[in-house]
Amino acid sequence: MRTKEIKNEKLGEKVVSAVHPSGLRIFVMPKEGYDSVYALFSTKYGSIDTAFKNENGEFETIPEGTAHFLEHKLFESEDLNAFERFAETGASANAYTSFEETAYLFKSSGDVEKSLEILIDFVQNPYFTAETVEKEQGIIGQEIRMYQDLPDWKIMFNLLKALYTDHPVRIDIAGTQESIAKIDADLLYKLYNRFYNTSNMILTVVGGIDPEKVFEIVNKTLKNKKSEPISRQFIKENPVPEKAYVEEALSVSKKQFMLGFKEDIQEPELSLKEELASDILLDALFGVSSDFFRKLMDEKLIEMDFDASLFNGFGYSCVMFSGSTDEPEKVSQMVKDEIERVKKEGVDPEAFNRSKRKLYGSFVGDYNSISSMARRISHLSFGGNKPFDELKICSEITLKDVQKRLEVIKNEYSALSVIKPVE
Amino acid sequence: MPEVRKIADRIRMVSVRTDKFKTSQIIVSMAVPMNENAAANALLVYLLKRSCKSYPDFTLLNRRLDELYGASLGAGILKTGDAQVLNISIDYIDDRFALDGESISDCCAELIAEMLFKPNIKNKSFGSSALEEERRLLVRRVESELDDKGRYAYEHLISNMCEKEPFGRSRYGTVEEIKAVRMADVYDAWKNTLETAVIQITAVGSGDPEKIASVFEKGFSGIERNPAEIETVFAKRGGRFKRIEESFPVNQGKLVIGFRAGTESVEDNRFAVTVMNDIFGGGTYSKLFTNVREKMSLAYYCSSSFIPSKGIIVIESGIDSSKEKTVTAEVVNQLNEIRDGKNVDSLLGDSKLSLRERFTFASPEKITAWYSSQVLLENILDPDEMINGIEAVTAEQVIEAAKKLSIDTIFMLSSEGGEADE
Repeated sequence: MRTKEIKNEKLGEKVVSAVHPSGLRIFVMPKEGYDSVYALFSTKYGSIDTAFKNENGEFETIPEGTAHFLEHKLFESEDLNAFERFAETGASANAYTSFEETAYLFKSSGDVEKSLEILIDFVQNPYFTAETVEKEQGIIGQEIRMYQDLPDWKIMFNLLKALYTDHPVRIDIAGTQESIAKIDADLLYKLYNRFYNTSNMILTVVGGIDPEKVFEIVNKTLKNKKSEPISRQFIKENPVPEKAYVEEALSVSKKQFMLGFKEDIQEPELSLKEELASDILLDALFGVSSDFFRKLMDEKLIEMDFDASLFNGFGYSCVMFSGSTDEPEKVSQMVKDEIERVKKEGVDPEAFNRSKRKLYGSFVGDYNSISSMARRISHLSFGGNKPFDELKICSEITLKDVQKRLEVIKNEYSALSVIKPVE
Repeated sequence: MPEVRKIADRIRMVSVRTDKFKTSQIIVSMAVPMNENAAANALLVYLLKRSCKSYPDFTLLNRRLDELYGASLGAGILKTGDAQVLNISIDYIDDRFALDGESISDCCAELIAEMLFKPNIKNKSFGSSALEEERRLLVRRVESELDDKGRYAYEHLISNMCEKEPFGRSRYGTVEEIKAVRMADVYDAWKNTLETAVIQITAVGSGDPEKIASVFEKGFSGIERNPAEIETVFAKRGGRFKRIEESFPVNQGKLVIGFRAGTESVEDNRFAVTVMNDIFGGGTYSKLFTNVREKMSLAYYCSSSFIPSKGIIVIESGIDSSKEKTVTAEVVNQLNEIRDGKNVDSLLGDSKLSLRERFTFASPEKITAWYSSQVLLENILDPDEMINGIEAVTAEQVIEAAKKLSIDTIFMLSSEGGEADE
C-alpha cells in the first residue's frame, strides 16, 4: 500500500492514509502521549438505504431497521462472539447505526494490535442463524420501546415524517416491531454481501499507535476481495412538507416543539462549506449569545435546551429548532419572523465573527478526543473531504457565505412537531 | 501523580500539567452538607455562572466567552455521599491556538475566579429578574426529570431507599423548596459556601498551576474560613425490604434495584467491590449482560453501577413490565452465582483488563472529573493506584464482597395497562 501523509502544523497533528487493493480506505492519526487507541470500522450503509439492487439488476425493498439489526448480529460468531473475543484484550467494543453509516469500534490501551485484528476479522465474518436472529428480535424490541419513550427522539421522527414524503430519513433507524419480524438470516447474508464491501468501507485509527503497525495488521487480516463500489440513488423530493403540523401526547412534564425547514436541495449532498456556514449562521442568529435567545428567555418562552441546528445527509437537508415551551406556535412564529428580519437587514458582522471564532475553538478542542477524531475523519472521507478540511474551510467562510445559507430557509417549506403532556 | 497545593483551610488545588491536550480545564468543587439549604445552594451556582462584575449580564458574558474561542463555563450540582457538591468550571483552548496572540488562559483563570468572588451583587442582591429566571429554569430542571424515565426511576429509587439519609434529597432541592428561596437565602448561601465548604480546585492542562493557584489564593485571602464537617451515613445492610411501583403511559417498564454494598467508607473494600460490581453488571462479559440480555433476550440493557461515596449498588434495566419477577429473580440468581464462585475466576481477568481500560483516561474532561470527584477525600487516589488496587483483587475477595450485598429497595416504573403488543 502506498501511504500519504497530511500534516497540520498549527495543531501539530498528522494523518497517514492509504487505500488497500480491495478498495478499503485507511486513515491513521498517531497521537503522542496517548496510551489509548480508538478504531472505527465503518460502512456506508445506514437506515436510509431501504432498497438494494439484486443479481437481476432490480431494486428490492429492505425491511425498515435492517442495517441496525445487522449491526447487532455481526457480533455473533460460530465460536466465540466478538464481545467475548474483545474481553480477552480488555478493549471496550461497541457499534452504532446512523442514517447513513454503520460503524464498529473499540477503545483499547492494552493489546491494541490484537484488538485491531479482532475488529477487522469479525466485521468480515458474518454468522447468522434462525435461532440467533429470533433471539435478537427480543433485545431490539426492547431497544425500540426504549426509544419510543424518549421525547427527544419521538419529536424528531414525528418532524421528519411530516417534512419528508418519500425520503427514508423519515423512518426510525431501528425500524418497528413489525418490520424487524420480517428479517431472517438469508436476508442478512444478502445485505451483508451487498453493503459490507470493502470499497464501501473506511477504517480509521486514532491514538497511541504507529501507522506502520496498522497497515501491517490490515495487510495480514483483510481479505483481498475485489469489490465494486456502490452508489446511492438521488431522488429529488418536492420541497413542500407532507404535513405542516403534527402533535403527539406523551408522558412528559411540559410541551416540547421542533420546527423544521426543509431545504430545496439540487445536489444530493451539501458541501462542507455550506454545512459550516449554516452552523455559524444558526449560532449567530439563535445561539446563547444572540439577542433572539435573550428576548425569548426574558419572555419566559424558552429554556436552556433551546437549540438550532442543521440536519443533513444524502438526499436531505433541513434546519431544526427545538426546545421546551408552553407556546410552540408563538415560538415558531418568532423564529420565522427573525429569519425574515435578518434576510432584509443582513447578518450582524460582529455576531458572525464571534460565532466563527467559537466554531474554530470547538474544532480545535475536538482534537483532544480520539473518538471524536476517528468519527470526524471517517465522516469527512465519506463526504469526499480530507482530514483537517473542517479547520481550513471554517477559516475561509465569509459573511456572504452565511447570508447565502440564510436564503434557503423558507417558511413555506416548514413543519412543526409538538409533544404535549398526556392529559 | 498530580500536584497538590494547599490554598487555605480545607481548600486545595489539584493539578495535572500536560501539553498533550489542546484545551485546559479548571473546575472548582465546593462540598457542603446536603440539607434543607440545597435549593438555595443550587440557585446560587446558576446565578454565579450567569454573570459577574465585569460582565454583569448573561448575554455580555456569553459574548465574551465566544471571543475567547468558545471557552465554556459550566455549572453543575452533584451528590457525593451525604454532601451536595457545587461545581463551577471553565474550559478553553490553549494560547498556542489563538489566532491573534492573546492569552486565553490568563483571561479564563481570572474569569472563573471572578464568577466566584465578584458576582454581580448590589446591596446583597443578585437582582430579582436574574433570580426569577434561574428559579424558573431550576424548577424545570427538576420537573423535566420525568421526561427521561430511566433517570426518573433511578432518582426515585434513591429518594425512597435513602429517605432517612441526606443522600435521599434531590440535588437541586424540591420544586417547593426552590419556590420558597428568598434573595437573602441565596446571598447567605454564597457567603456560607466561601466560608464553610470543603473546596477543591482541579486544573488539567498546559498552564502554570502556580499562576492559577495565585488567583484563588488572592480570592480566598480576605475570607475567614470555618470549614464544615461532612459525614456520610453508610448503612451496612438494607433495612426492611421495600418495593415501590409507579405506572405511566409508556412503552417500556424500568426496573431499578438498590443494594447496600456493606461498606463503611469510600475506601472500605473499594477495589474488591468495584470488581465485583463489574463482574455482576459492568461490561459486556458481565453476568447480567450475558444472561438477562444475551441468553434470555429480556432487555436491551441490564447493568449495575457502584456508588463508592455512599456504599450503594444500583441495577437498572428496561423491560416488559410483566417480566419484572423473571428479571428480578435472574438478577438475584446471578448475584448468588457470584457468591457461589461460579465463573468468577474466568470473569476476573476480563473484568480487570476492562477496568484498566476504563481508568486509562484519554481526555482532559475525564481526568478532571476523576480528581474533582475526590473533593472530600483526604488522600488523592490517582488512576494508576486504582488500577493497581484492582489488579490485586482475588476471586475470594470478589465472592466475599458479593456476600456482603443486601437488597434494600426495588422501584418499578411500569407501563399503564401492560405492554401494547405482548
